[in-house]
This record gives sequence, C-alpha cells and structure tokens, in this order.
Amino acid sequence: MAPFDLVHPRSTDEALAELRAASPERVAVLAGGTDLLLDIDRARIAPHRVVSLRYLPWKFLEWSGDSLTIGSTLPLRALEVEPRVRQRIPGLWEAVRAVGSVALRHRATLGGNLVRSAPASDLSPILLALDAEVEVVGPQGSRWTPVDAFLSASRRPRLSFGELVRAVRIPEARPSAYHWQRVRPVNDISQVGVAVARSPSEGYYRIAVGDVLPRPVRILPAEEALRSRPPTDDEVRSAAELVGKLSPFATDRRGTEEYRRHIVAVLARRALLAIRTAAPRGPAP
Amino acid sequence: MTTAPFFTVNGTSVDLSPVPGSERLLDTLRWRLGLKGTKEGCRTGDCGACTVLVDRASVLSCLTLAHEVAGSEVTTIEGLAAEDVGARIVQSFADEGASQCGYCTPGFVMALASLLHERGAAGDLAEFEEDLQGNLCRCTGYVSIRRASQRAREAVR
Amino acid sequence: MSYAVRSDALAKARGAVPYGTDIESPGMLWGALVLAPITHGTIRSIDLTAARAIPGVTAIGPEDLPRLLPGVPTDPERPIFPSKTIQYHAQPIAAVAAPTFGAARRAAQAVKVETREHPAVESIDEAATGPEPEVIGHVHARYGDLDGVFRTADFVLTETYRTNAVSQVALEPHAAIAEIRDDGTWFVRTSTQSPFGVREDLAAMLGIPEPQIVVEGTWVGGGFGGKGSSLVEPYALLLARASGRPVRLALTYREEFLLGRSTLPSLIRLSSAVRGGTIVGRRVLWKVDAGSSLPGRDFATGYGIGFTVGPYRVPAIELEGIALRTHKPPLGPHRAPLAPQCAFAAESHMDHLAQRLGVDSVEFRRRHVWLSGDATHLGQTVGPFGLSECLAEAGARARKWRERLPENHGIGVGAGFWSTGTGAGGEARLFLQPERLRIVQGEPEIGSGSVIRGLAAVVEVVLGIPRERIEVDYRDTATAPFDSGVWGSRTLGALGQAVEKAARELRAELAKRTDAPEGAIRLTVQGPELAVEVDGVSRPVREILRRDEIENGGLTTYGTHYGAAGSFDALRVLDGTFYPYTDFTGAAHVAEVALDPELGTVHVVRYAAFHDAGRVVDFETAKAQVEGGIVMGLGTALTEEGLWSPEGVLQNPGLVDYRIPTLAEVPPIEVHFVEGFLGAGPFGAKGLGEPPIIPVPATIANAVRDACGEGPTELPMTGERLARHLKLLRT
Repeated sequence: MAPFDLVHPRSTDEALAELRAASPERVAVLAGGTDLLLDIDRARIAPHRVVSLRYLPWKFLEWSGDSLTIGSTLPLRALEVEPRVRQRIPGLWEAVRAVGSVALRHRATLGGNLVRSAPASDLSPILLALDAEVEVVGPQGSRWTPVDAFLSASRRPRLSFGELVRAVRIPEARPSAYHWQRVRPVNDISQVGVAVARSPSEGYYRIAVGDVLPRPVRILPAEEALRSRPPTDDEVRSAAELVGKLSPFATDRRGTEEYRRHIVAVLARRALLAIRTAAPRGPAP
Repeated sequence: MTTAPFFTVNGTSVDLSPVPGSERLLDTLRWRLGLKGTKEGCRTGDCGACTVLVDRASVLSCLTLAHEVAGSEVTTIEGLAAEDVGARIVQSFADEGASQCGYCTPGFVMALASLLHERGAAGDLAEFEEDLQGNLCRCTGYVSIRRASQRAREAVR
Repeated sequence: MSYAVRSDALAKARGAVPYGTDIESPGMLWGALVLAPITHGTIRSIDLTAARAIPGVTAIGPEDLPRLLPGVPTDPERPIFPSKTIQYHAQPIAAVAAPTFGAARRAAQAVKVETREHPAVESIDEAATGPEPEVIGHVHARYGDLDGVFRTADFVLTETYRTNAVSQVALEPHAAIAEIRDDGTWFVRTSTQSPFGVREDLAAMLGIPEPQIVVEGTWVGGGFGGKGSSLVEPYALLLARASGRPVRLALTYREEFLLGRSTLPSLIRLSSAVRGGTIVGRRVLWKVDAGSSLPGRDFATGYGIGFTVGPYRVPAIELEGIALRTHKPPLGPHRAPLAPQCAFAAESHMDHLAQRLGVDSVEFRRRHVWLSGDATHLGQTVGPFGLSECLAEAGARARKWRERLPENHGIGVGAGFWSTGTGAGGEARLFLQPERLRIVQGEPEIGSGSVIRGLAAVVEVVLGIPRERIEVDYRDTATAPFDSGVWGSRTLGALGQAVEKAARELRAELAKRTDAPEGAIRLTVQGPELAVEVDGVSRPVREILRRDEIENGGLTTYGTHYGAAGSFDALRVLDGTFYPYTDFTGAAHVAEVALDPELGTVHVVRYAAFHDAGRVVDFETAKAQVEGGIVMGLGTALTEEGLWSPEGVLQNPGLVDYRIPTLAEVPPIEVHFVEGFLGAGPFGAKGLGEPPIIPVPATIANAVRDACGEGPTELPMTGERLARHLKLLRT
C-alpha cells in the first residue's frame, strides 16, 4: 500500500482541473472508495494522487414526472431508503439491496459502480433494463450516453481520461425486477443476475444479465420473444430459455458456464412472471 | 481546494493535518487515537468488525480514508456506549448473551445504532434483520444476536 | 426473559476488551512475513538488501537463524523458515519489522526471492493430474469375521463421499507482540488458545528452555482450533531479538487463509454388509489430504477414522486410513477435527442403508447405536452415553415436523459422537478473600465462556457462592498453574475438575474452621463481604480467615487434574497409531430444508438439536455453544470450501469467496439436553465445544435426501453441486 495525496475539489470545474493537471497512471478518482481502496491495497493500482468526489454537489436525487435522475456520488443507501424508488422502480431497489452491506452502501455510489464496470455488478443489469443514461462531464462539457454504450469491460468504461460521471438518469419508472443467485445468499458476488423491466407506456420488455463477459448485456432476442401484451406463458418460457442460451457466461470459481445458463433461465422466467401483470405505480402520496 | 482538516470523534475535535491522505479511518482511530473498541477484522469491507458511525450512519472504517470524514462527526463504540441509545443496545447484547469471543460485537452495536437512527424502531422486522446481514459472527450462530437486536429495538422504541 | 449476564459481556459490547490485535508496546516495530511466491521448489536465494535499505527496517531470513536462535531447535518437522525447499504457496520464508505497518509491507515486498519451481502435488483425487501424493501416515485396524459377513450378506452397499477444505475463520486474525527482556526472558503476548502449548512449541522451535519463555495470552477473538499452537509467535520473537525492539506481528486476513492450519479435503469410501436388517460388517478406506504438514498426520487419521463408523455397533470392521502429503498449507485442527466430514459420510450412509431396507432411519440407528457399556470399533468400552435417547427425541421431533411438510421440503436426522479431552492436564488455584473468590488459572477465555462462565459455575455449585462474587483470573505461563489449553472441548471437563477439587478442598477447610459438616457450607453475600453460612447462621469470611491469609491474597487451595487416557484392544491394530477416546458425548440433530428443485439451492427452514452433555452446569452457556456450533456446521454443509488452483495456490483467501454463514442463513434453532448420562467432568459434565458441529452436514444432507430421494455425496452442498445431484445439468 503506497502512500498518496488526497485532494477534495469542491466544484465540477475544480475536479476536472485536478484531473487535467495529473498524468493518467498517477491519478485515481475516489467516489465511495469501496472498490478503489481494495485495488490500492492489492497493488493493482498505485496512484500518487487521489481525487475525491465527496464534496462535489452530486449527491442528489431528482424526480421529474416519471423520470429519475441520480447524482453519481449519492450513496446507494440513500437511493434505497427513498420510498418512491422502491415503489416505482422495484427492480432498482432490489438491485441496490443486493450490493454489499448497509455500511458499504452508506459509502458506495452508483457512479463508482458504473465506472468500476465489474462484470458481476448487480447494478449494471437493472440500469440496462431501465434504458438508463449516464451524464459524462469533461473538458468538452456535458454529454449523455446510454448505459449500454457506456459499459465496455471491467474497469474500462467508455470514459476518456479527464472525464467524470456526474449523474445517471432513468427515463421512465418501470415495473421491474432484479433476480440473482449466489453461493451464499448475502455478502457474496452473484453467480448470475438478471434484470427485467416493462415499459408502461410502450409495453415492451428489457432483459439484461450480469456476471457475463466482458460486461452485462441485454439479450435482445429474448426481449423480442415477448410479443403479446401481456406475453403468454409460452412466450415467457421461450424468452427465459433464450436468456439461458444466449448469455455470454464463462466458467470461473463461482460457477460453471453450464450451471449459470441453467439458473439464469429459471431466474429470468421468475422475474418476468413477477412483472408481467404488475401495474405501474404512480408517485407516492 | 483544501478541506477543513478536522473531524470530531465522540465529540472531540481531531486535527487531520498530520494524517497522510492514504490513511484509513480505521488506523487513525485505533493507532493514533487509541480507540481500540473499533476492531480490525478482514480489512476488506467484508466482516463489519470495524463499523463506526459517520454522521450517525454506519460506515466501514477500513474502506474509508480518514480525510474523507473531514468535517464529519465520527462516533465509535467508546462514544456510543456512553450515550443513552448506545447503552441500551450494549445492555441488550449483554442481557441476551450475544457475545462470545466478542470481536464482532462492537460492529454489531454500531450497525444497530445506525439502523435505529435511520429507520426508527418500527418497521418490518425481516427487513431490519436483512440490514444486519453485513456483520459476520463466527461464535454465536447469530441466534442470540437476533434476540439482542430485537430487544434493542424494543428498548429504544 | 433475561439471560444470565456473563461477566465479560458488557465490556465486550462496549469494545473495552483488549484482544491480541489491540495490544501495543512503546517503541514497537510492526512485523510482516515474506511469503513464498511458489508452491513447491528450491530457494536459490533470498536477498534482503533492498528491504534493509528502508530506514528502520530489520529483516531476517534463513541465514540469520543461527545467529538469532539461542539454541538448537528440536523440532525439525516445523522449521521457522525452510532452509531449502518451499513446501506450500505462501510459506513464510523471511520476516521484516519496521516503524510503521506500511513500511513493513513495503519492506516485505522489497525482499527478492529466486526460486526453482518443481511440480506441486495439489490434490489427493485419483483423477488429478500431476505428481502422486506421498503416503505420510497409515493406520489400519481390523476385527471380526469380515470376509464371512461380507460373503453371506443380504446386500452390500458401497459408496464414496468427498469433503473439502474448511477454515476456522476466527474474526480476529493471529496477532502477537514480542520482546526480549533485559533478564533474557523471551516474552510474547499472543491471542492463543493455549499459552502453555505455545511455550512448548517455542521451546522446541527456538531451542530455548521453557522457563526462559513467558507466554501471556490475551483475550481471544475466536479460535476454533486455529489458535491452538504457535504460528506468528516465533517470528515476532526473532524479529524482536534481531531489532532489539518489541515487535507486533499480526496476520492480514488474507494470510489467515494462506497460512491456515485448516481441515483439508478427504475421500471416504464406505462399504457395509447388511443381513437381517442390521449392519454386520463395515469396510472403510479413508484418504486425507494432510497438506505439507508432518505433525498431526497420525492424529488426523488415527483419531478421526473412528468417526467414519459412527457411534454404532458393528460386529466386523476393517478400517484403513491414509494421510497423503500435498503442497497445501499444513493440516490443522478445526473444531472437532474431521469429525463433521466423517459423520457426513457415515450418517449419509446410515440413511442410505435405511432407505434400501425401507425402514425408518432413526429406528435403524437406534438398532445399532452404542449404549453405555458397549464397545467401540477398537474394543474400547463406551462410558455413560445417551445418544439413543437423543435419537428417540430427534425422531419424535422429525415425525412432528413431518405432519405438515410442504412440497420440496425434506426432513433429515443426523447423529454424531465425540470424546471430550478430559485426559489432558490442568491445575487451578483458588483464593478466598473477604469479599470475593478468585480462580487463578492459565487458560485465556476464547469466547465459549467455558473459562469465564464454566469454571465459575463449578465453584458456584460446590460452594453456593453467587456468580458475581467469583473472579476468574487468567495469568501468564510464568505465574499461572499449568494448563493444556483450550482444545478437545476440555476446559470444563478437565480444568473444571481441577477447579472442582480446589473448591472441595476449600469447602473442607471452611468446614473444619467452622466445625460444620462439609455439605452444609455455603458462601453467601453479606453487604460488601462474603460470609460462610451453615444452617442459616452466617459468619463473615473475614473472621474465618487468618490475618496473614487476608494479607496474602486469601485462603488458598489448589486442585490438579491429570486424567488417564482410555484404552482399547491393541490386537485389533494392524498398523499405525490409533488414539483412545476419553469421555463419550453424543448428539442427534433434526433439520427441515427447502430445496429449490429448479436451482438446486437449499435453505434450512428449522433446526433442532438434542445433546447428551452429561450434567449441564450452565444452561445458557451450553445452549450458546450448541447454537454457534450448528451454524458453523451450516457453513461446512452448504457454503465453505477452500479452492486451490492446479498450481496449488489458494483461490479464495478472503471472506467474500470463503463463505461463512451470515445472519441470513440461520433458521430458528431449538436446543435440548438429554441428561442422566454422567461424564468425567465436574458433577458429571461433558465437553460441549466441538460436539454441536459434528452432526450438522450429515443432518442437512439427509434432509436433502428426504426432499429429493437421493443423498448428496460431496461437501459443501452448493447450489451447483445439488443441481448436478438432481440431474438438472447435463454434465
């Protein structure tokens, strides 16, 4: 564990200036720190300077009608205890609760999770299923990009050096679910995760899986198999089978590819059935 | 650019200026301030033994840099046990025999204090228990910890 | 209902108890170990120059040992550093100390090691590629007309079970702080289950006479067998000697796993001959991965193998146990070493046999189970033993649960026996003072309460003194009476007997001084002081003690316990060293599980345990031991498993991937004691630290068998293993 300097910019401009002033291999960005500090301890990275985002005004959570914008440094726990999140986007609430422990979620952030881009992230699949967008700020200003275009590989999101994630937007609250399985039910890394969501306005489905390489993905043929409104049992079954067949799983010490394909199909079916007839829920009173 | 180089621990102000940027809050508490009630377990955020309160919310001090709590109020088991709610939680653990080796106990007490502060003593019991699952215990089998947590919930109601 | 408050409870909950990891010393250095980068190979060179160039760093390697060691080590099987050959990945090969923790880690990383790698033996599995493991231990026993019973059997059932590595995972890592005192004493404070055992180890490893070593145990943040012998202490002492400063050496949690003295994999093949509904013969072939250890290999096989037969009468038996050497870390004791694994095989086999016979598995067990006075596989006489009664109660509970059993649920019963280590010695001294009674002894409290509560309870029973007036005073090896340490569930059963003798002697002395019959003596509280009460008449203790006694710490009595080991029929032994049992305890457990027939996952819905622990001296402490043991067993059953790569590198040295149970997996647990079968301990108590873990994997496995018709054959029973078991997967 090599020592480093820690800086605390107070504004977006200051933060971007800090990054510009450093060389890429010497600087690291600290959001919640729950992954970064482990990477430093394990000498995976050895930054000389760490830029903390803690004092940036990015810890917000804003509803605008059906759309929710989440500041990238908002602790996950704040998202979880906001009653409307649980009520209106249940899949997001389930996925957030799947992450670590309460104490970890008091520090860990959505932005940190996205930039870490772990293939086993419990949050990426639900963000994909919700068609979430990421706001990236950088020297050229601000841009919004779909989560699908943002994710690329572990620790390698599509983010240029000098850019930061400021916010995540979920365009529409959807009936949704996140189902996962682990060797141990809690405090473990998922063997598979599957997120499903149904657009209340259009009726289409999104299905995304995690713990796949190189990054969580949507399974488009499975989504397309759900033609009827609502989908029939047969359609749900074939969609789930397609999830099992098409998910790019690999074998590692948490499970074999074969087992993962098997269980993801079961979980996808259960998740779809859970939301098939769920009514969209309006703003909390 | 610089932050207030102070935080408070159990009500006492601590100057962060001699603390390196890379130092974990856990080490600052234990080895600079001598607050050994905060236990060092896995140091990877997986056991909960090092849980402290930062502005009343449970935090893993092994995964928190000391400078990240600048301007915040940190409460350790030493401070919490001296408060009314903390004392009740501590008593609940003692009454229910919820410590064996006791190494996990301060972390559990902190986690409970955070939960009770955040969610109150009412609410769904199953969810309340789920929220304690991040703290590991190898001795008790959690049976007595479960009882102690419920007792504490009732004691602060 | 309020539970009796243990005297350490409030201090522990307030974080006011100092553990090994909490101790510091003025001017101390921080130690760190340099770990072997390969699994098996030759050390060509260890270059400490760069580490020593860091300001304030002391670094020691194999070449420094002759200069640092005060004498000649007498334990060649446990070298401090390997002089030439690395035996397992992460074996300590050098050590450093520095003014800060960070500097110590940097110094450890700066040590340059050159090695020549050899192929490593990673697995005892016949299917494994790579070199064959070497046989380093062999036990073989046989009796009865084996060929005859197998030839004339109605049927023979043969099956193979596999078990995997499990770690102790005490939450507190190993930690010690050492210094060489001016008078030449090698002094170490350490988180250990056995200060006297560590002293003995250190004497052998360092070549120093025991009186020159002082070991002071700290409060212990969990042991479970992992802190039973020395691990960090020799390095801390040698670094202290080399630097001239106190040195703190604590393992990182990763090192806890990498250096772990844990239970390693085993393969258990059982073959039973059945005739007329009873087992008439059993053959066992047991292969144990002994890792790179040499010490303990005989014990593992020679002691553990009895658990593959279980607590059952079998008229003809052949047992063969083989310890195989691999390049894993040394095998070490993990709560009831290897017994839960053997019981998993033996008890699954019992259920399978009952299933084949179409009889109730509990009744089938009771047909065979040892009763008091029966003989073990080696012909040792079983003492008072209440397992049959435990089984009867477990069977009744299983029937009751079965009345309303949801689909895909199953109910299983499993049993196990254990032998309390009451043979090993211990001594204790009591001091009666005007206000309190002190028990002075040499076992640190490791969490179970057997010291702080169990020993106090013994005095409470003998003298009637209220528990709040009893102080259990732990002392270091220089000042405490000898004790063998916390292992083998022996604290209450063995050290407790020493305490009981001292308490009885105290009672006799008080009887003499008050001219009363011994049985009438009770110590009661009178205001701030204690009084001796005889038939309702009280006299203050202060008046009964002599002035010189009051001035010198109180009226003192001394008790010792050195028990005799049991004996067995040596003619049954063909090869190797077997170990007799001492005090027989038993337990029967019942579990209801819910099996997800699509995912293969299993969830324990409820659990009940019935234990013969002899006389239960303190119910709450006993119950807490059983609860904790059951949940530790759930980990062995369902989620815990050390995973090594083919190169012999542990893949999951951390608490995310090595999965001990969390609050989420814990079902409601009932604990019952079947009394009336008295053990050798005080008032007939039997040890209870280890027995509760033994039946757990078997009980869960049998519940899974009940839910799906076929029993699992490998631990842990993860979702993926059970999915294969349920044939949900093609391969």
